[in-house]
Amino acid sequence: MSIEYIISMITNNWPMFLRGAGMTLLISIIGTIFGSVIGLLAGVIRTIPTPERKLKRVVLKIVNLILSVYIEFFRGTPMIVQAMVIFYGSALAFGIDMDRTMAAIFIVSINTGAYMAEIVRGGVISIDKGQFEAAQAIGMNHVQTMWSVVLPQVIRNILPATGNQFIINIKDTSVLNVIGVTELYFQAKTVAGISFKYFEPFFIACILYFVMTFTVTLILRYIERKLDGPENYSMIGQPPP
Amino acid sequence: MGNVIEVQHLSKSFGNHEVLRDIDFSVNKGEVICIIGSSGSGKSTLLRCINLLEKPSGGQIIYHGENILDEKHDIHAYRKKLGMVFQQFNLFNNHNALNNCMVGQVKVLKRSKEDAEKIALKYLKVVGMDHYVNAKPKQLSGGQKQRVAIARALSMEPDVMLFDEPTSALDPEMVGEVLKVMKELASTGLTMLIVTHEMEFAREVADRVVFMDKGVIAEEGPPEQIFNHPREERTKAFLKRTLS
Repeated sequence: MSIEYIISMITNNWPMFLRGAGMTLLISIIGTIFGSVIGLLAGVIRTIPTPERKLKRVVLKIVNLILSVYIEFFRGTPMIVQAMVIFYGSALAFGIDMDRTMAAIFIVSINTGAYMAEIVRGGVISIDKGQFEAAQAIGMNHVQTMWSVVLPQVIRNILPATGNQFIINIKDTSVLNVIGVTELYFQAKTVAGISFKYFEPFFIACILYFVMTFTVTLILRYIERKLDGPENYSMIGQPPP
Repeated sequence: MGNVIEVQHLSKSFGNHEVLRDIDFSVNKGEVICIIGSSGSGKSTLLRCINLLEKPSGGQIIYHGENILDEKHDIHAYRKKLGMVFQQFNLFNNHNALNNCMVGQVKVLKRSKEDAEKIALKYLKVVGMDHYVNAKPKQLSGGQKQRVAIARALSMEPDVMLFDEPTSALDPEMVGEVLKVMKELASTGLTMLIVTHEMEFAREVADRVVFMDKGVIAEEGPPEQIFNHPREERTKAFLKRTLS
């Protein structure tokens, strides 16, 4: 091993590494976004207060049960196994030949959704009860309260946890090589197979993973600062002393 | 003077703990009512039952001739006619002072943004907070937050304003600024229902004082009667405890 060898490996194989990194980013970005939307919806539904009417109460209970099963199942099984079951299972059972990239995005999304649902639920619970009461007191219904008052605060508060999830997704897409998705780990393995060198390609992949995750960290910090707004506010005119 | 709200035989229990028992009482248009009583006497619970933040266990609440506890009654439509000011202010933390006063108007009353802003500014001026429209709640002092909260409730142009111990969470030096705003409001003919520990304020502002003790209305009457010539022993004992 030498620095020169690593550099020559990069110069010879950079399109493969770049395509791999691009695929990893694509899957993790779309997966995180879809997952967050699923998580927000599930989290909001799971925090609806018990309704007065009996029919609504029963419907809500059934929906909550389905959500619980979804969350517990996808949190409770490894993504690598889910990938195998969903990709090969769908072919076997329904004769669906899923596009590998689509399958990857689907698996990452529903996985993220399961984790995000709990993160969102925690975020909603953490909002002080007075905010709900104040919104109710001016006549807002549950959806209006959530949309205008609670969720903006929840999203701000869960941003660090969402960033965590995003970073986990960037790293964990590597397990999707088992269904032949050409993400970064798959590409590194391919380069290793061609060159019969193992340390160098994976070392390069390692650096690329870190660059991606660290960039995401920096971007999220920036967004957090933006959301918090300026420390000071501007006065309109002069207040009386 | 018409009845705005009439409470009949209202009761409320938390589990088997009975907080309110057989409350009968009414609010007339333009009247300022102060509810006094020691902690745990059910004052706040009564107020919270009136706008249904707590679900009454029994009785009726008649609003303009309709029983709002009826299952078919639209709770949200009723609540928007009542303004509520909380002890802990409960401003929306994600909105600045102006938006706090606008969001309800736009979402619930479906007013246009321009109208809502005009109305919000009008009431922020009433409470003397029009200079702080850009400030977020965390940037304001307790007294300022409470004044914005009053403006938020007024912006909905409610029939009745409910105040749940509006000065109890404030530093002593900030109590004055909030009470001053409330006095001004009282003089405009606004219907107000105020749960308070500020006896001087109640004596000065109230048209009627309601004294609650152990979940029932022990005595009610004009401030002159309650504070100077209380008829009930319980009222006398309470005033002796608080005014000395």
